[in-house]
Amino acid sequence: MKRAFLGEFEEVVLLTAAILDEGAYGVPITQEIERKTGRAVGFSTVHTTLQRLEEKGFLKSEMGGATAERGGRRKRFFTVTAAGRKALQEVRQVRTELWNALPPKTLQLMGS
Amino acid sequence: MKPTPPTPPRWAARLLERFGHPDTLEEVQGDLLELYTGWAETLGVREARRRYVLSALKLLRPLARPSRSSSQPSPSFMNPDMLLNYFKVSRRNLVRHKAFSFINILGLALGMAASLLILLWVQDERSVDGFHANGPHLYQIYERRYYDGKEEANYFTQGLLAQELKRVIPEVQYASSLEWNMPATFEAGETIARMDGSWAGEDFFRMFSYPLLEGTPETALGAPGGIAVSRKMAEQFFGSADRAIGRIIRYENRDNLKITAVFENLPANSSQQFDFLRTWKDYVKENKWVYNWGNTNPLAFVQLRPDRNGNPADAARVEAKIRDFIYRYLQRSEGLKIELALQPYSEKYLHSTFKAGKPDGGRIEYVRLFTLVAAFILLIACINFMNLATARSTKRAKEVGVRKVVGAVRSALVGQFVGEALLLTFFSIGIAVALVALLLPAFNAVTGKQLALPVDRPAFWAAMAGLLLLTGLVAGSYPAFFLSSLRPVRVLKGSLKFGQGATVFRKGLVVFQFGLSILLIVGTLVIHRQMEYVRSKNLGYDRENLIYIPIEGELTQKFARFREEAGHLPGIRSVSKMKESPTGIGHHTGDIFWEGKDPNLIISFANTAVGYDFLKTMNLQLKEGRDFSRAFGTDSTSYLMNESALKKIGYKDPVGKPLTWGNRKGRIIGIVKDFHFTSMHQAIEPLVIRLNEEQSWGTILVRTEAGKTREALAGLEKVCRELNPKFPFNYRFSDLEYARLYRSEEVVSRLAVGFAALAIFISCLGLFGLAAFTAEQRTKEIGVRKVLGASVTHVVAMLSGDFLKLVGISIVVASPVAWWAMNRWLQDFAYKTGLDWWLFALAGGAVALIALLTVSYQSIRAALTNPVKSLRSE
Repeated sequence: MKRAFLGEFEEVVLLTAAILDEGAYGVPITQEIERKTGRAVGFSTVHTTLQRLEEKGFLKSEMGGATAERGGRRKRFFTVTAAGRKALQEVRQVRTELWNALPPKTLQLMGS
Repeated sequence: MKPTPPTPPRWAARLLERFGHPDTLEEVQGDLLELYTGWAETLGVREARRRYVLSALKLLRPLARPSRSSSQPSPSFMNPDMLLNYFKVSRRNLVRHKAFSFINILGLALGMAASLLILLWVQDERSVDGFHANGPHLYQIYERRYYDGKEEANYFTQGLLAQELKRVIPEVQYASSLEWNMPATFEAGETIARMDGSWAGEDFFRMFSYPLLEGTPETALGAPGGIAVSRKMAEQFFGSADRAIGRIIRYENRDNLKITAVFENLPANSSQQFDFLRTWKDYVKENKWVYNWGNTNPLAFVQLRPDRNGNPADAARVEAKIRDFIYRYLQRSEGLKIELALQPYSEKYLHSTFKAGKPDGGRIEYVRLFTLVAAFILLIACINFMNLATARSTKRAKEVGVRKVVGAVRSALVGQFVGEALLLTFFSIGIAVALVALLLPAFNAVTGKQLALPVDRPAFWAAMAGLLLLTGLVAGSYPAFFLSSLRPVRVLKGSLKFGQGATVFRKGLVVFQFGLSILLIVGTLVIHRQMEYVRSKNLGYDRENLIYIPIEGELTQKFARFREEAGHLPGIRSVSKMKESPTGIGHHTGDIFWEGKDPNLIISFANTAVGYDFLKTMNLQLKEGRDFSRAFGTDSTSYLMNESALKKIGYKDPVGKPLTWGNRKGRIIGIVKDFHFTSMHQAIEPLVIRLNEEQSWGTILVRTEAGKTREALAGLEKVCRELNPKFPFNYRFSDLEYARLYRSEEVVSRLAVGFAALAIFISCLGLFGLAAFTAEQRTKEIGVRKVLGASVTHVVAMLSGDFLKLVGISIVVASPVAWWAMNRWLQDFAYKTGLDWWLFALAGGAVALIALLTVSYQSIRAALTNPVKSLRSE
């Protein structure tokens, strides 16, 4: 099975979208990432990533919820698909396995 | 309330709008705007703007194409599927409402057929004399006369005018006179026949584009003793054109003429019509009067020299130059002023009536009138279409509603209905063309034209397409805009109520339609009555049982014997002769003098010369005095005159008083009661009659006994054959000759009858349709009324009353217009019938009656329906 590769930033975005659940669209995703990671993420980067994730089938979107402060424009809400969830699981599993494989000495050195 | 949020840089927003990815543009713009607001609050406007710009620039995707469209596209109006659907719906509608379709198509077809016929006629009238290659340079001379405080003009000119104009005026390149047609009998070999023709100047064929089959334009009429003949005449006498040229033909059994040219038969759209032309040199030789410039008769034409660039010369300048040309040859006199003027030759046919010394009107008035009638009839037909379409819109309203709901835009609906109208018009035009093809022979018979459908000319089809578009758009536009404006919600909820506007408009159209019909009917009635008046008016002489025989050949010498022999024939009362004919005394002279005549006074007298027994033969009434008589040897210098002439002269006791005509001094022997010797368009002119038993040309007048015409003719023929063996026996009836004076009025009268009938028929077709529709609409109402006890008569009266009201209004509106129009038409007649009120009443009554009959069929049918049937289905 050809497994879609999930890049680091993609993972972050996908996770954030999953966290935000119902309210996941461009603006809160960008803000959430900035808040959580402290990085100054450009909106354009987030937007492009979201598009790519949707292309890969990890996200799906639908339009809705126009508000006045957006100039009456609708939002594109993103939902994580089954494939997306699976991809996140896999990434997490790989990480856990890697963490678990870490020698305890090294783990101590890291201060935890 | 928050202060208005600062806005992101406009240019960046624009750029994004223009070049962002179309698929995600909406949310990107929205997201960025939202973010910007956040940034502006937390980081300051400056930073916010910077970030906005940066993000926007990064999101530009100038080459991106939309991959998915945002909504279902509404199929375009011209989409083939939609067109197919329109056709299908149109066809179903046509087939389902057969009566309406029939009325619509028939009405339009009739209207268009009528307009087409008229337009063909108009086109033909306008094309007359338009084919001459020198057309822009050709002018006809007319003469304006000021006398008696009056200003008159006519085409009569001096016999030498044309050649003198050419000799003296450098701007005149060519000039030619043309005498009025004078029929003559020709003989060559065994063939003897009578042909119609005239005399013309040397330049004639150089000026006018009558193609010559034999001979050249330069030599055709150059030498005395020559004659140019038509192909028809050449073929009749010699078998063909090339065999005719150079041959000798005998003219009036008097002169031998050599054929110098053969011209192609004149086209029907030439106002000049002749079969032969003799040379002007011969004319001058035979008519010494031409040397006196006070006498006029022939027509004169000039061709002006074009300027250096080949442009037509300035006619006004030439006109100014020749204005007083006559006075090079004629003594100026106080009371009469003669001016020459030019009229473009191509305009002469349609503009040949003069008013106040200027060409004003003529056939052009009929051309305009009928163009107007064509437009009226077409309009009436279009109104039918509009009325029926709007009336039936309730039927189509649901369709419109559904179409709108599934996304039809208004323009598509307008397109659909206009297209439908065009389709119907297309059918109608097909029928109309077929009808015209069918009716043309009859139409030609009435108008005396040779019209044909020019199916081989692209211009005709272009005109047809134009007519199709015009009619389709006029007829289809209102229903289209009306129907497409309906609101789907109201239509589909079933609460469709037509506003007052539509109904008023529809009623207005009906009024307009019937107004036009009434106008046409009144016109027809008045024209018809005037013709009847003209036909039956006492002319002052008895035009029944009067036969004209032209004096020709040996009759010129043998008139005395003819009178002698004819006088003994059974069925013949008396025989006389005159210079012209009783229906057309055209000669005029100013050369009449009497005692006490004001030397400055110039009066033109109509004049003629007659034989003995003139009054008796014509049945003219003598007021006083006596007729010419053989008993008095002095009668060769005696004069008769009519009452109008006496009034001008002013003698108290005229009989025996002296009168001088030219240098013939004589006495008045009798006063004749006024009689009509020209058409009723003109008032009776003063007329002087002298005796000339030896007059060598003119008409023999024969008074026959009532009911014995056949015997008389048989006898006359025998005498003529005996005395004048070389000439075919030729005669005309006076009453028919008289009728010929009113040929164009007769045509107009008959056409008007036809078109008025058509107009009222088409109007009634529409009314019939409307009545059917209303009756159908009110079926329930009628049912309820009947259940509650209304009688059939009551219902019929109710239904018909509405329509009659409309017809009533149109009568009121149209009558004054009709009065005004017909009053103007009658102005052209010096003797005319009145415009009586009952004419209008009759027209109105007839229209009302026809309308009532039309409507009542529907009303009665509706009123007779069993209410159970109409109320059962609810």
